[in-house]
Amino acid sequence: MGLRDRAAIAGVGYTPFSKDSGVSTLTLAIDAILAALDDAGLSVDDVDALATHRVGDSTPPWVVAPALGIPEVSWYLDQFGGGSVSHAVIGQAAMAVATGVARTVVCYRAINARSEFRMGGTGRGVAPVYDAQYQAPYGYFAPPQQFAMFTRAHMLKYGTTHEQLGSIAVGQRANAAKNPQALKRDPITIEDYLASRWIAEPLRLLDCCLETDGACAVVVTSAERARDLAAPPVLISGAVWGGGDSFLSGQGGDFTVSEAARIAPRLYAMAGVGPEDIDVAELYDCFTYSVLVQLEDYGFCAKGEGGPYAASGAIRPDGALPVNTHGGFLSEGYVHGINHVAEAVAQLRGTAGDRQVSGAEVALSTAQPGYVLAGTSALILRADR
Amino acid sequence: MSLGERPRPQVDRDSAPWWEAVRRHELLVQECVDCGTLRFPPRAICGRCRSRRSGWAPVRGTGRVASWIVNHQVFMRAFADEVPYAVLHVRLDEADDLFMYGDLAGADPADVTPGMPVQAVFTDIDDDLTLVRWRPR
Repeated sequence: MGLRDRAAIAGVGYTPFSKDSGVSTLTLAIDAILAALDDAGLSVDDVDALATHRVGDSTPPWVVAPALGIPEVSWYLDQFGGGSVSHAVIGQAAMAVATGVARTVVCYRAINARSEFRMGGTGRGVAPVYDAQYQAPYGYFAPPQQFAMFTRAHMLKYGTTHEQLGSIAVGQRANAAKNPQALKRDPITIEDYLASRWIAEPLRLLDCCLETDGACAVVVTSAERARDLAAPPVLISGAVWGGGDSFLSGQGGDFTVSEAARIAPRLYAMAGVGPEDIDVAELYDCFTYSVLVQLEDYGFCAKGEGGPYAASGAIRPDGALPVNTHGGFLSEGYVHGINHVAEAVAQLRGTAGDRQVSGAEVALSTAQPGYVLAGTSALILRADR
Repeated sequence: MSLGERPRPQVDRDSAPWWEAVRRHELLVQECVDCGTLRFPPRAICGRCRSRRSGWAPVRGTGRVASWIVNHQVFMRAFADEVPYAVLHVRLDEADDLFMYGDLAGADPADVTPGMPVQAVFTDIDDDLTLVRWRPR
């Protein structure tokens, strides 16, 4: 039975995305949480649990809860980690609801990832992560460098090309043009992509996500209760996190396989669906390569075929598997994973406007596929109709 | 800028013997006393047979380039004068699953090729720190 369809997402809220919010991560969190509660038709008095993740870059639940005046907190989660745990936060909220530990959990992620804390290390020191000592002295510590290393391995083993990576960036920008809250909405061409400057070869500027200030929140409650609230419920059919290999240390040396390959069978089994049932996929796109490798590791194409599959048009809005319909982190903005969940909810509610995938009933939303810390997380969401 | 301004390794209680050996220009990995598996980075247990017994074994310092990047962006000011520079993921010749990272020494980043044979070189940064880098062989 697991967690299938026992909890639901009942509300979603955003702050605007920008390069400089001008406010604290506490204020961002409050704004996103209140917006999500409003969407659900709930108030702060209905909340009994908060959950987030952070890497020393945000405000924890035990500060946000008293700031909001939450009457009594029955459960909270302050998960260490970056994008790989983004969906684990929501999965654990579903678990708290399903076990009766909590009744209404608001999951949030609030970051000033451009104006205060840049993931690339620019303007700050090396993140205090295990095994960085064997890499940082050589000038290897920023996520674009790590993903460049993985991308090169995939290119060497499978012949993946720059043009295939570029097709992902170009396609997602076209999606963002239909998303009013996306930060980057001007179309780009493959020529623009190929002309963009190197960050860390083989990755260019347009392979990289946007560094964004912003917050996003989702309300998780029981499926039964969600049906009585203001917004159409989106059921959490599958919620899985885990993995094993740590690519950070250089162990588990095959960079061409992500931890998504390890969790995908459990995820599909929990939800009772397969890759062929997914109508829309919001795949963690810190870099173009992470989309490409997840197309393989979540079973949408054969291993090694992610490049040709992406370039075929299959992941465009009219393709077999629309991917990152909001523009993703590459073009909408980067709130470290949770805005993928919010977009999946919009698609399943049928409220995605010009970018709506017709008849979307089942969505996959995923976290960073486990390269930087050992493990990943993902959700399969389903419209309740 | 110089090599001395790079970020220092945050040496811990597991890694201290390894860094001390590097200081002596010796490249070591751990070797499981019970099953013989070589491992790096240092850990208190063998992930294959779970033995707690291990020793330090010298490796030849030879390997092949498994993957690499050529970094252009200045993520940290200490590297401002070094870009573009190559960072290598090196598969050591002793085992298929034994890897080390390091930067490229004595060659142009554009000359790196897949599987290129490399040799570890020891660069003394200052009185306390030596780094392992890799040159083509």
